[in-house]
Amino acid sequence: MKKNLIRYALLPAALALATAFGGAAAFAEDSINVTNLSYRTGPFAATGTPIMNGQRDYMIMLNERDGGINGVKISYDECETGYNTEKGAECYEKTKASSIVTQPWSTGITLQVLPKSNVDKIPILAPGYGFSPMADGKVFQWAFNPPASYWDGASMILKNISEGNLESLKGKKVVLLHLDAPYGKEPIPLLQAYAEKYGFTFLPIPVGVKEMQNQSAQWLQIRRERPDFVLMWGWGAMNVGAVTEAAKTKFPMDKFIGIWWSSHDGDMKSVGEAGKGYRAISWSLPHSESPVMQDIKKYVLDAKKAEIGEGEFDWVFYQRGVLISMFTVEGIRAAQEHFDTKVVNAEQLRWGLENLKLDEARLKEIGMDGMIGPFSTSCSNHAGHAGAWMLQWDGAKFVKVSDLLQADQDMIAPLVETEAKKYADANAPWPINEECKM
Amino acid sequence: MLYRTVGQFKTSYHADHALFPVKQDAWLLGLILLLAFVVLPATANEFVFKALLIPVLIYALASLGLNILTGYAGQLSLGTGAFMGVGAYACYKLITIFPEMNIVVAIALSGFFSAAVGMAFGLPSLRIKGFYLAIATLAAQFFLVWLFEKWAWLYNYNSSGAIQVPTLTMFGIPVVGPNATAIVQYYFVLVVVCLITWFSINITRGRIGRIWKAVRDMDIAAELVGINLMKAKLSAFAVSSYIVGIAGALFVFLWRGAAEPVLFDIQLSFRVLFIVIIGGMGSILGNYLGAILIVALPVIISAVPRAFGLPIGSAMAEHLNTMIVGATIIGFLILEPHGLARLWAIAREKLIIWPFPH
Repeated sequence: MKKNLIRYALLPAALALATAFGGAAAFAEDSINVTNLSYRTGPFAATGTPIMNGQRDYMIMLNERDGGINGVKISYDECETGYNTEKGAECYEKTKASSIVTQPWSTGITLQVLPKSNVDKIPILAPGYGFSPMADGKVFQWAFNPPASYWDGASMILKNISEGNLESLKGKKVVLLHLDAPYGKEPIPLLQAYAEKYGFTFLPIPVGVKEMQNQSAQWLQIRRERPDFVLMWGWGAMNVGAVTEAAKTKFPMDKFIGIWWSSHDGDMKSVGEAGKGYRAISWSLPHSESPVMQDIKKYVLDAKKAEIGEGEFDWVFYQRGVLISMFTVEGIRAAQEHFDTKVVNAEQLRWGLENLKLDEARLKEIGMDGMIGPFSTSCSNHAGHAGAWMLQWDGAKFVKVSDLLQADQDMIAPLVETEAKKYADANAPWPINEECKM
Repeated sequence: MLYRTVGQFKTSYHADHALFPVKQDAWLLGLILLLAFVVLPATANEFVFKALLIPVLIYALASLGLNILTGYAGQLSLGTGAFMGVGAYACYKLITIFPEMNIVVAIALSGFFSAAVGMAFGLPSLRIKGFYLAIATLAAQFFLVWLFEKWAWLYNYNSSGAIQVPTLTMFGIPVVGPNATAIVQYYFVLVVVCLITWFSINITRGRIGRIWKAVRDMDIAAELVGINLMKAKLSAFAVSSYIVGIAGALFVFLWRGAAEPVLFDIQLSFRVLFIVIIGGMGSILGNYLGAILIVALPVIISAVPRAFGLPIGSAMAEHLNTMIVGATIIGFLILEPHGLARLWAIAREKLIIWPFPH
């Protein structure tokens, strides 16, 4: 145990050393610096840690197995934010000179760094979170939210609960139980548009950050309103609180559906059997037998290059972290080929992230077949709008209960355009990519 | 030796009441100003500006505002974070309603909004004191943050519920927003902070400051000697909230660039209160010392393992950081319960008589 701890501590240290002794040394060794604004401390540490572990372990695995990306080592580092926007901004300032990509990891931090991205010219990668209009690549030239935005998620949930026929929602009542923060408010405009078009009643019920663990008032309201479905945009302690309350008030679990950040095994484990039947949409599917996961096991975990918690390997969040690192890596790969260079810089990576082509064949090649829906990005589409699956909690783990769902782009696209324009106008002068003709 | 006051004679009352009766103090201040205006900007990089210098100045300003209320007038307040929020939201609304408005004017005006709100929530101070008043200001804290969340007009109905700072220029140079350079923002904040500090030093030394101190030390006695308690307390709330509001506007516009309501939560109030307590109540200098300890020290400590290549992961460094800062705060408070400003005052006394203590 002690030995492992030392190893665990030594690894980031070695990475830190590499960065501490300046860019010159790093370039001489041909390495690419990727720093993640992690949160392994603070109130959301329990949810953050598996994601951060997954991201780190994919990078270590590539360095161990292939010697990096096309022979260039990845120097992966973390800057701890504790999910605190102030520390996040500090980390951004600290890493922007060395790291070729910023992963802000909180909607609050994303909002702070988003306006600076045009000036500092560093791509922001916010996989499956952040501001939904970021999908508009012409306006948000430096921001990427692959593989799907919150609006894609909301659309797919509605599609699934109506069993493909949105007309059937007419006259029904849908409640959105959401964290009262920018993150939780994200799906509201889209759900409102849906409610108007398909004639169902939509009722958002906010949960304040301070009331996350005690939602009795909200669930009392839900009981009184008798909704047909409850959707949840929850995070951290709020997920456990909501599922516990739902079980306590005997709310039918199969009518309770969460977004992908509400599909954390650790949260559900503490509820156990009581949460049986709860569903969550997810753009990632845990697949522990896939080649990539087996390689991580072989090169990283069994080789004791890094440590993770017991059982964490099979978790949705751990494997999602692996996929998130894959976006960066594939972006780097695309940029390396296009610019015919080994060590890509931030601007070249932006091109790479804009030209991700993750089709079935490519996913198979990198050993991630079936873990994520195929998608591609372009200069106008920074989200990729990949599909997602419905996962269901069976009392011990999440299992897939649907085919790959696709979001309704006819509903989302106009909203993306207006909201992106609104943002650009409010932050004028805001540069727009006129070269993009798509 | 260094602080010899021998030979510095005062020949008039005016000289005796001067801001710096000892010449060395003036030299020291000159040195610090030289450091702040010339040496630091010439040597600092963007990280130092954005993570150390600007936040220290803004937090020091906020704590200066609270110190006037708590340290000089003796009214305990836990609503500082919310009053900063009022300043920030007022500035945002002014800028978006009147896009042509100069940023200096907008920031100066936004202070009046927080002053008005501060006075309204200061009314209970006429009846209650101490901890009871702290609870009343706590109500302000919760109510205002709730208002920032619920009143969509305040954030122009943005779907994210957060306020974003647009680019604003002065004399053709971007001062606020993503295009502004750190050095410009630093000078802007520095000038504002210096002006308000100069104003605060004078107001606390003068008639109004003495009235506040009288109320703080014993309000019944103050009333008996003819001080109007209502005027004294409400003026303290107004001046304090004005400064706090300006600090809030600077906090969002010159530093953060975006803000969600939860930013102005009780943690911010506590942070500013800690700066006041550790820096020293009833002292202007203390705010700066406290802000350096609370705001800058964690940033500096977190850079230590990396600079020396110590084998510590970033999460572990963060845990250690919390422990070290906590221990330092307790250590300083045991060493000198009246704060860092008193520690400096004692050191100065010792320096004056050194090397012949008697």
